[in-house]
Amino acid sequence: MSSPTSVMPLPIRILLALLLIAGLSLFLYKIHGVLAPFVLAFVLAYVLAPIIDRLEGSGIGRTSSILLVFLSVFSLLGFGVFAAGNRLTVEVRELTDRMQRNESTQSLFLVHNRGDAPLFIDGAEWEYVDGKPNQTSFELSNDVILPLEVLPGQQRGISISFMPDSLLFTQATLRLELGGDRAGQWLVLPVVGNLRHGNERVPSELGLKASEYQIRGVDLEPNWVDMGEAGPNVFTDIGKMAETVQPTLQSYWGDDLDLVTLIKEQGDTLINTLLGSTTVFLGGVVSGLTFVVIVPFVAFFFLKEGRQISRKVIELVPNAYFELCLNLLHQINGQIGGYIRGQILATSVVATLAISGLSIIGLQYAFPVGLLAGFANMIPFLGPLIGIISASIVALATGGTLAMSLVGKVVVIFLVIQIIDNILIQPTVVAKSVEMHPLMVLFVVMVGSQLMGIVGMLIAVPLTGILKVIVQSIYVGIRGYRLQ
Amino acid sequence: MVGDPFWSNIFKREQSEEDALYEILTQIPIFQDFSQREFNKIQGILHRRSWGTGEAIVQEGNPGFGMYIILSGDVDIVHQVEDGSMQKLAQLGAGDFFGEQALLDESPRTAAAIAASPCKAIGFFRPDLLEVIESNPRLGLKIVMRLSQMISVRLRHTNRLLKEAREQNAQQT
Repeated sequence: MSSPTSVMPLPIRILLALLLIAGLSLFLYKIHGVLAPFVLAFVLAYVLAPIIDRLEGSGIGRTSSILLVFLSVFSLLGFGVFAAGNRLTVEVRELTDRMQRNESTQSLFLVHNRGDAPLFIDGAEWEYVDGKPNQTSFELSNDVILPLEVLPGQQRGISISFMPDSLLFTQATLRLELGGDRAGQWLVLPVVGNLRHGNERVPSELGLKASEYQIRGVDLEPNWVDMGEAGPNVFTDIGKMAETVQPTLQSYWGDDLDLVTLIKEQGDTLINTLLGSTTVFLGGVVSGLTFVVIVPFVAFFFLKEGRQISRKVIELVPNAYFELCLNLLHQINGQIGGYIRGQILATSVVATLAISGLSIIGLQYAFPVGLLAGFANMIPFLGPLIGIISASIVALATGGTLAMSLVGKVVVIFLVIQIIDNILIQPTVVAKSVEMHPLMVLFVVMVGSQLMGIVGMLIAVPLTGILKVIVQSIYVGIRGYRLQ
Repeated sequence: MVGDPFWSNIFKREQSEEDALYEILTQIPIFQDFSQREFNKIQGILHRRSWGTGEAIVQEGNPGFGMYIILSGDVDIVHQVEDGSMQKLAQLGAGDFFGEQALLDESPRTAAAIAASPCKAIGFFRPDLLEVIESNPRLGLKIVMRLSQMISVRLRHTNRLLKEAREQNAQQT
């Protein structure tokens, strides 16, 4: 008796299998938001499996081994999150804030003349609360021309612009000098900016202060002004630096080249694309409990029941392909395990090197930037570039007058890391068989970024690596095998 | 109850069948004098399958990955001779086993095994043996030791046959 599948000719069976794979891939893509904890658990299981196997080999039961390893790994992770998590969140928030932030804000207040005579505003002065004499964060907008006349019973709007050179809380009073019969009198208006980074008590204090300076017959609306959040934007800073080289470049490429606008526009697009898609992806993953509960739970079962699960899967395979599938499953399992462990090891080493190196040269935000460089390193050719570019952007934006020398140091650090990576790490942890053609890398990274943004870019290459390992194992395994 | 309650609830098997399996397996040299505890460990990596009459269990020439232990039914060991016809080398029954050499190397199967009647057998494969060696070296070593003993016995037997054949040859000339 033969199994029912052998009725169909081989090409049709292959076609059916391909259709099945395509359908499955589409399904997986559709539910990729939910998949994240499972993928993480899968990776975790592969990373921990050899340790657990070894413990089991020394005589401890498998469940106890898993629990023992979980306990140590999660306490370590917990300690890591406790020690560095807060700093990381703050730095990432600050960094993205610096890249997306408005450089200036505008706000309007009204001068209402309730008296019988016209009101003349002859001049304006800013008095900064922290007493820095040269500050110019607040200014009256260009369209305000003094002296200004407000007729009885009328109101005039005056707009203020806020363009600080830092994100710090800034507070000043605007003193408007009056003319005409009110000469010698002043209208006083407290103005604050970047309130979020300052004191929460400020608004009520300002309200009190403002009422002290009231002038009869003149109303200011509102009686104090919150300019909102503003500060230097990373890409504007870099644009300003680009201004210095712009004339030289224009002599080569013509006057059409506007480097400053180009950098600002491209930077904005880049940040919006990256952050937008990342937030969408992470929204599904890091919803607190999902991460902390589901990942270890699923990983535990992968580790504990993995063998039984694969045995049950194998049981479904028809007799004719049974031995072949058994062997393939084993091969693929071993290869994927090696690949994942290699990548994780390489990533951790590169990230550690980058964080230490960048901290040593005194780069701000060394932690998130180094971490990104470590993860990006999974992408051959492009990864190191991502690391070096993001670190250079941060160096340019935060380095002030020393920016260029800091960029130089960043380049040196990354060169050293690349040499270590290529000579010591890659040859030992990454199998030759998973090497990819540069064009292939470029293509899958672009597809990944199209589908899932920066996360897609990062996981595209490892995912392709795993697929390549699977296809290779199947190809090698099926050679010399006569199918019935 | 053997194994994990979750799986054994889903894939429930009769206790008597487990006992019968233990009886059969401890009869064959590889698993001889295994304790019930060791047997429980091994049991998790064995594959139990059934074949219909005429279905091939292994194909001649395909890479081999492990051995089979017949639980019930008959299996013909056949070899394709040069003119394309099939030559039956042996018939095996319950408690017999074949293919144990494939546990050690990946060389192609030297003969086919065809089910002569509906049959059930246990498969034991190299990837799983390698896993046992890694996760439980003591048990793995015990199995490999038995395996080498079996092959050594067979080699001694072959040597004796070869010697006899040579002596016969010498007498004839």
